[in-house]
Amino acid sequence: MSFILRRLGFYIAAFLVAATANFILPRLMPGNPVDIMFSQQNSTLTPEARQALIETFGFASGPLHLQFLDYMKSVFTGDLGYSIRFYPQTVNQVLAYAAPWTILLAGTATMLAFAIGSTMGSFAAWRRGGKFDAIVTPASLAVQATPAVVVAISVLFIFGVALRWLPTSYAFAPSLDPAWSWQFFGSVFVHGLMPICSLMVVFVGGYLVTMRNNMVGQLGEDHVTMGVAKGLSDRRVQFNYAARNALLPSVTSLGLTLGAILGGSLVTEVVFNYPGLGQTLYIGIVTRDYPLIQGQLLIMTFATLIANFLVDILYVFLDPRLRKV
Amino acid sequence: MKLQRLTAMMLAGALALPGVAFAQNEGESVLTAVPQQLTAWVENYNPMNATTVLPTVLDFMFEPLVVFNAIKGGEANYRLATEYSYSEDQLSLTFTMRDGAKWSDGEPLTAKDVAFTFNLIKEFPALDLRAVWPKLESVEASDDKTVTFKFKQVDAGLIYQIVQTYVVPEHVWADVADPVTFTNPNPVGSGPLTEIRRFSPQEYIQCRNPNYWDNAELEVDCMRLPQVSNNDQVLTMASNGELDWFGSFLPDIEKTYVSGDPDHRGYWFPAGSPVFVSLNMESEDPGLKEAFNDVNFRRAFSMAMDRQAMVDIAGYGYPTANEYASGLGKAYDVWNNAEAEAEYGKFARFDIEASKALLAESGYADKDGDGFLETPTGQPIALEIIVPNGWTDWVNTVQLAVEGLAEVGINASMATPESPAWTDALITGKYEAALNAAATGVSPHFFLDGSLHSRNIGQNRFAAARYVNPELDAALDAFNATTDADAQREAMTKVLALIAADMPLINVFNNPLWYEYNTTRFTGFFNADNPVARPVVYAGVPERLLHLLALSPVKQ
Repeated sequence: MSFILRRLGFYIAAFLVAATANFILPRLMPGNPVDIMFSQQNSTLTPEARQALIETFGFASGPLHLQFLDYMKSVFTGDLGYSIRFYPQTVNQVLAYAAPWTILLAGTATMLAFAIGSTMGSFAAWRRGGKFDAIVTPASLAVQATPAVVVAISVLFIFGVALRWLPTSYAFAPSLDPAWSWQFFGSVFVHGLMPICSLMVVFVGGYLVTMRNNMVGQLGEDHVTMGVAKGLSDRRVQFNYAARNALLPSVTSLGLTLGAILGGSLVTEVVFNYPGLGQTLYIGIVTRDYPLIQGQLLIMTFATLIANFLVDILYVFLDPRLRKV
Repeated sequence: MKLQRLTAMMLAGALALPGVAFAQNEGESVLTAVPQQLTAWVENYNPMNATTVLPTVLDFMFEPLVVFNAIKGGEANYRLATEYSYSEDQLSLTFTMRDGAKWSDGEPLTAKDVAFTFNLIKEFPALDLRAVWPKLESVEASDDKTVTFKFKQVDAGLIYQIVQTYVVPEHVWADVADPVTFTNPNPVGSGPLTEIRRFSPQEYIQCRNPNYWDNAELEVDCMRLPQVSNNDQVLTMASNGELDWFGSFLPDIEKTYVSGDPDHRGYWFPAGSPVFVSLNMESEDPGLKEAFNDVNFRRAFSMAMDRQAMVDIAGYGYPTANEYASGLGKAYDVWNNAEAEAEYGKFARFDIEASKALLAESGYADKDGDGFLETPTGQPIALEIIVPNGWTDWVNTVQLAVEGLAEVGINASMATPESPAWTDALITGKYEAALNAAATGVSPHFFLDGSLHSRNIGQNRFAAARYVNPELDAALDAFNATTDADAQREAMTKVLALIAADMPLINVFNNPLWYEYNTTRFTGFFNADNPVARPVVYAGVPERLLHLLALSPVKQ
């Protein structure tokens, strides 16, 4: 228990550091954010109009330490203010609209990549040097090294533009409204196919290679030799004796790679015009919507820390040694 | 087995949906347009909001008093007003309102609404997007048909800002507590399309105003606005034939777009805002300060610019080369000062040899043997041209500029800051040289004044050259100090002569106005053969209203 508490303390400290960096970084960027934001809106804006807009959007002014206190208050009350680009929506509303789509997109792609990659990796290791291994392993290394944007654009071009099999943008047909109907879920499914698959392809190589390497290590262990000696079937030795243990490091990396997942998701969302957090962050950065960027970074920090905390808790159950500390 | 059936059902259900259908009444004509790229639509129908107002609110939901046609030298197309006139002293401007004009809810639209709107933005300066009140004394309606604007001083350019302030209905807006944050959820408008039939973050549909005064001319029943977030998405939808009217950069447009259906697909890229190199005349570097303030250096710089290569290579052939010594550009050719161009035009054309000769003649020489020229007083010249990161056509333009400058012996390099940092550097004057562009108005006065009048230094990014010439300031002021057409032409001729002689900006080309169309469902689109007005669909060009009214559905 004390292990969990210590880790919890660490995560709270990490969150505070990240939240502070989140406050400082935009202020280190060249130019005054308020001027830049509004100078792009309209070049004929008078100083009075500019001042009135600043007040409308509730920009903190005054000495830096007071701004920081205001900011920290907003972090802990969860009131992140208005988005500039999506006004009159608040940052919370914008993020609440986008988050489910990213969870659907990145979540499904990661889970599929994990399942497919690990399974294929275990087969590749089981018959290492065989035909399957010789093709799949280098291929997945190659795909893993391909930038997500290349994969996404190729998929978009082939299946969306050339063959016209699948819709090229949106999370569902724009003529529909969200509803508990087959039509709506079918539309979500069809619109998700290309982005989910292209994102999955990017991730699958990593899990495959990790699994293969762990599995190769496991195959040299005594318990696997014993399983074979007991005369168990190949499948049983492969899955119950070797793969089960080999899987643990992959589970850990699932939590740790959340950042990479969100990064890959950003590119894919932009290419397929998918209304998730990545696309929202992108537009926030391009239009210098500081409240939105801040809110988004906070959420990402929070999500990464929570994921790591969950992995820590999982470790307590997996590794009995930690329970005694 | 079950799962397979389920998947098949879902697939079938989803695929059965036609791509572009919605709850559409029989026989209605629906125009699909992309006036803005964004990741999600947000409901905001407040025409006085600068940040997130939907792109079809101005001009289509709220009609201007008058649309001045820039291509035709500012010809007036009367909309809500039927006439305007100046008083004898030119200090007051009176509009006569159209008889029988109504708001979309059936209430009469009168001069009182106009006066109400202007007094509203006086009370709330955040709404004064065209910055009219600093120049206005008062706005009053003497009766239902007549509204009078009193000016602080004679200003012939102010009317263009006044007509781009969109009039709202007093009977609705008088009760709005805070019009700055108001999103106008149940819009009552004056334009052709006021009814929001459907709204979702992925698309919205705006349909006919039952009480529109000019309904007889309007043949488009609804506009459908799909949410599109980038140029690639536009290209994908356009090549599938889903878009009727849009404006977007498409690489190799003949091949990627037109060739898919040459009978119906077209584009027209008339010259838009002028793009030029700003040289910071207040540079703290002694060599740059000396060179930039020397007209011969600026002329040599200009002659080192391979404008045609910039248009063809950097701009894919879409921009229009600007070979006017005055920087006037093709878009405003009706104002041209032929005499000044005859005398100084050669300095606005690519000529490496002439550039070298002029530099040598003016005392620029490589004294320290580093391969680059020094100023006549021996100061080194090394300049960095900034251009926003990711604006690839502009980045390539600067690359070509740097090559040309190297050929004549000027040591130039490129830097690509993020666009907000670029904007900031231009406004504050903390830069050496930059590729820059000016916003254009109905007459050339708007951009010439914005980029060259000394009062704008530090106020906007257009005046980044920080050029001061009292004679030019006076000539620019003279243009707006009269509403007499002949006197204005005379003033403009003087302005252009002064600029051509001193060449304060290095003009290279005019950005294209992005405009593409598809005549499968509608006809009447403006193009090079039918150049009625600026044809773009995006906000900021009120002529798009004339374009909408010119469209007719194709009989199916």
